[in-house]
Amino acid sequence: MVALRWLIQTLVALGTNAYFLFPWGPVIYQGPLKAVCHPGLNCYSCPAALLSCPVGAIQNFIASLRYTAPGNFPHLGAMVVGYLGFIGTLVGRLPCGWLCPFGFIQDLLNKVPSPKFSLWAPLRWLKYVVLVVMVILMPFFLLDQYGLGQPWFCKLLCPSGTMLGALPLVILKPALWTTLGFYFWNKITILIAIVILAIFISRPFCRMLCPLGAFYSLFSRMTLVRLEFVEGNCVDCRACVKACPTGVKPYLEKDSRECIMCLRCLDSCHFQALSFDLRRPLPHHVEKPHTAS
Amino acid sequence: MPQKAIWLMIIFTLLFVLGINTGDLEYLMHLGNTICLSCIGVG
Repeated sequence: MVALRWLIQTLVALGTNAYFLFPWGPVIYQGPLKAVCHPGLNCYSCPAALLSCPVGAIQNFIASLRYTAPGNFPHLGAMVVGYLGFIGTLVGRLPCGWLCPFGFIQDLLNKVPSPKFSLWAPLRWLKYVVLVVMVILMPFFLLDQYGLGQPWFCKLLCPSGTMLGALPLVILKPALWTTLGFYFWNKITILIAIVILAIFISRPFCRMLCPLGAFYSLFSRMTLVRLEFVEGNCVDCRACVKACPTGVKPYLEKDSRECIMCLRCLDSCHFQALSFDLRRPLPHHVEKPHTAS
Repeated sequence: MPQKAIWLMIIFTLLFVLGINTGDLEYLMHLGNTICLSCIGVG
């Protein structure tokens, strides 16, 4: 399973960033595939990117609501919300574990030999703040000097955009150098911090700050497929806890919002205490246990 | 099959179709074909 996941992560990262003509043609890919969103975080300004970034798209849709021309139907971004919601309901955060190029980069960084640390659990809630404030509220309410909303998550925080979009474009287009200021250096600082953190802590960005992971995690309790825990088979060896890259305890937390369904716990368990299966419906009539009165 | 998930998937499919019919596809295509200055940190 581990090898299969590495293979899929590699193929998806390369396959969705496969426009290698950018040094000779337009500096970014400008074809029909850009109407499709990547299921993971992948900057659409990456010169090689074939697909659009769902988080960037949602912010731009929300920002555009403020300047919809009279008589025109506003672009609500229903297509992107529907697309992400469908994926979230089907498989939860599985795209984080298997398809997200920036998650893959963090997995690779965590392979660097170094002491490993766990993440302080309350920091996991930050990503929901990022989702609500930076992706939804700020693009709608915070306007620039021209009265336009901005994709503030992309502008202030997104390290995927800095690594895959900003750095290659700045190298390819020296004309951009004169326009770089506070926002660029702020993002470079954040990227460096995330890269260093990812060496010592598994997937720090996904666990603390990623609004896409936060969105998918909203569906963790109702996904069509789920990680099942068979209590009777568990021998309490905690191998699953050691294997989990996001610090989930599968024997304690059912349908954890932090679970990215990488299935490393499944591989680590030699007692068939975990399985990946379709969610079973709850029985209609559950008999209450008899209690002595 | 869990009913809640099925209903949600139907609702999200309808949202997706609504988005396509209200021009989200063209908007996204236009968006994706321009360089995102915010992503670079211009400004």
